[in-house]
Amino acid sequence: MRFFKKTNINFLDKRRFFYFVSLIVISTGLISLIFKGIGYGIDFLGGTELIIQFDNPPSIGEIRNALSAKGFAKAEIKVYGDPRNVLIRTTELETGTEVGDRIKSALSEHFKENKISVLEEQKIGPKIGAELRRDAFYAVIFSLIAMLIYIGFRFKFIYGVGAVVALFHDVIVTLGVISLLDGISPFFDFEIDQNMIAAFLTLVGLSVNDSVVIFDRIRENLKIYKAMQFKDIINKSINDTLSRTVITSGTIFVVLLIIMLFGGEITRGFAFALTFGIITGTYSSIFIASAIVYEWSLKKNKNKT
Amino acid sequence: MKKERGKIIIIIAVVLISLYLLYPTYQDYNYSKKLESLRGEDSVKFLEENEQAIRDVKFKRIKLGLDLQGGMRVVLEVNTPKLLIDLAKNKDETFNTIMNEVMIDARTSDEPITSILLRKFNDRGIRLSRYYGSIRETNEEIISKLESEATNAVDRAIEVVRNRVDQYGVSEPTIQKQGARRIIVELPGVSKEAEVRQLLQGTALLEFKLLKDPEVVIKVTDAIDKFLAGKPIVDSLSADTSKISDTTKNVASNDTSELTIPEGQKTELEAAKEHPFYYLARPDQRAQGEFFVSEDNREKVNRILRRPEIQKLIPSDMEFLWSAKHAFIAEGKKWYTLYAVKSEAELTGGVIVNARATIDPNYNQPIVTMEMNAEGARDWARITGANINKRIAIVLDNAVFSAPVVRSKIIGGNSQIEGLDNIDEAKLLEIVLKAGALPAPVDIIQQQIVGPSLGQDSISRGINSSLIAFILTVIFMIIYYNKGGFVADFALLFNLLFILAVLAGFHGTLTLPGIAGMILTMAIAVDANVLIFERIREEAVTGKTLRAAIDAGYSKAWTAIFDSNLTTFITGVILYNFGSGPIQGFALTLMIGIVASMFSAIVITHVIFNIMADRNMKISFG
Repeated sequence: MRFFKKTNINFLDKRRFFYFVSLIVISTGLISLIFKGIGYGIDFLGGTELIIQFDNPPSIGEIRNALSAKGFAKAEIKVYGDPRNVLIRTTELETGTEVGDRIKSALSEHFKENKISVLEEQKIGPKIGAELRRDAFYAVIFSLIAMLIYIGFRFKFIYGVGAVVALFHDVIVTLGVISLLDGISPFFDFEIDQNMIAAFLTLVGLSVNDSVVIFDRIRENLKIYKAMQFKDIINKSINDTLSRTVITSGTIFVVLLIIMLFGGEITRGFAFALTFGIITGTYSSIFIASAIVYEWSLKKNKNKT
Repeated sequence: MKKERGKIIIIIAVVLISLYLLYPTYQDYNYSKKLESLRGEDSVKFLEENEQAIRDVKFKRIKLGLDLQGGMRVVLEVNTPKLLIDLAKNKDETFNTIMNEVMIDARTSDEPITSILLRKFNDRGIRLSRYYGSIRETNEEIISKLESEATNAVDRAIEVVRNRVDQYGVSEPTIQKQGARRIIVELPGVSKEAEVRQLLQGTALLEFKLLKDPEVVIKVTDAIDKFLAGKPIVDSLSADTSKISDTTKNVASNDTSELTIPEGQKTELEAAKEHPFYYLARPDQRAQGEFFVSEDNREKVNRILRRPEIQKLIPSDMEFLWSAKHAFIAEGKKWYTLYAVKSEAELTGGVIVNARATIDPNYNQPIVTMEMNAEGARDWARITGANINKRIAIVLDNAVFSAPVVRSKIIGGNSQIEGLDNIDEAKLLEIVLKAGALPAPVDIIQQQIVGPSLGQDSISRGINSSLIAFILTVIFMIIYYNKGGFVADFALLFNLLFILAVLAGFHGTLTLPGIAGMILTMAIAVDANVLIFERIREEAVTGKTLRAAIDAGYSKAWTAIFDSNLTTFITGVILYNFGSGPIQGFALTLMIGIVASMFSAIVITHVIFNIMADRNMKISFG
């Protein structure tokens, strides 16, 4: 079975149109990121987060009353998966674990009939939150630099630039989508936490995979078809690898979709970022990474003549 | 075929090693299944019969992260400002004001506390020697001393925490130092928050306790031994003999059945019947009144000693304490020393001013010197004077770290502890002695508690979704690539086996993001096969023979697979270094998975195809 007969699509001629598409998507995302922002997870914010299970589904309003009476009026309260499970989060930055204790005692006092049990409790000190944010930032930046160096070393420097610009594109588009979806439905409410950073780094790895496979073909075709125009070589290489790109990305997409839908609360944000990242990653390796390599070759030729 | 022999041997070896590494995990699963099916008495019996085996497989199985099995993760930080306050002398109003400012700055700044302190002192033009060290020391000297005090405090805190966690009996705890001032403690399966917090934050209690006279100890243990063996006690120390013999029979029969003696070792069986207590707690031949107990029997001995009938045999001023570290390793087990000491402490650690581990220049032996304050020195002189040639145990939070012999009356409070095996032991003792003298104040800066039920839920969801994803991938590969896909699926299974085996072999931890990482590597393994198969299809079109097309496909796909996998591997390395806990689990499985997938996709499938081609089997790539 095969989905693709030998294709011969002229990808590079359509690049201007796709630059335009990317520009629109990125600016929409950026606008949303700037004005709407993006939610941080508890590990980056610092504070206390509790996931409490009640014997019977409680009313959020009542929980709020119980907590307001103890001075936690600003606490974020929401249902977490199962209607009996409630996530409570405060950004009170005290050392020690008093906040969690006070919330727990407030709840067990208020809900005498409805027994509670703690499913998960997390307390992140103010300094740790800042540190984790910083580490995450470095992790993403370092991985981009590492990609630039590695690809530049294995291919040519401009290939590295193309791949890294494509990665920036993927990361910003995915961040933008997460920001846009924020608050629309509880199912798509994602936060930037450590798991999400892991997702972004994996996205970086996978997206660069696609670029590398195409670059590898270009490198090979350059040796074989010495007389061919560079533009045709790039087009041919993308076409040659198109079947692989679609099959691989398609398989990973399905795998991630399943994890996103059935994998539970903890890995959902992670799976979403990757599912979306696979799409933009595949797209960007063709229309951004390869196109940049081509644009650069055009410029070089112009300078020569 | 011959050409492939080397590769086939490697593949078989790798598979065998993987199965060997995974066997404990499988056994562990069997044991817990079996335990679940048993009730009450039976389960206790099963547990005792297989105690050693269960412990062994537990150690070698794949560990589950806290997110999967529930438990507590706590990050402690030594409160350096508080330590600095504790260390200061002649504290006055100015000092308190300065320290308050230091604390406020420390909360938000990354600057080392000591340099904040120095800056505040310099701002005011006050020298540090007003509160620390001696008058002749410069600020720099004092600061470097304070810095080393702060570092030592972390070591002390770790030792105190480790000691307590060991005594508390958490299975597979992890205690690590992170950076300069932090301690990460992971306690799987523990959810009693308040207890654990006490465990981690309470002040350490250091005590000096006299060892009981060996003769007295032996009388007591003889009585316990006889009682357990069901014999009448001739020389009873405290209890009413007639009353005990009533219950003797039935208790004794229970106890001997508890002991596990392999068949065919009659003498040992007899020994166990004859002397049930000494069979568990072997008397030390060199030091009378001390006993060695192997790690698997510790809990058993504790149970015996806690029994009310046994408690009656032990004088009220005597108690049994364990050594903090094992004395030696024999028969593949660690053996701990059981000491009998006077319940009441002679002295507590508060009187110690300083302790230092050094090498005795005269004998070139490691020693620990200990200094006491005036009040302590006075008591110490009296205690040592009255107990020459007796032994005093150094006890931290109820665990004995050392039990040196008193050589002479010590006047002035400067003591020297000799006879330590090596400098590490001396350093540990120094830490222990200081732990009692100068508590290292720690704050909980991060705490995560995962309830066991959330763990259960996460596991089942994670595994189910992974399974669905895996099955779909497998089916797709067969449909799309026909026999080639079938071979690739075969390699995928091996891939899974390798990842799990490496995790077990390196004592890695499986976390939920780790499972996600595993699925992702499955996808990457599929990618490698897709790259190869697409290449083989292309080559076949050019009119090559099947064998030639396969070889060309593999060799041409190689650079693409290598480069793309290496880039993913690099992100894995970066993730592992920056992430914490669960993220590291993800990065670890990702890295293992990439290596495993390259092996399975390139070596294994290639060998299979070559064998199939040699045997003229029909191979198709869809």
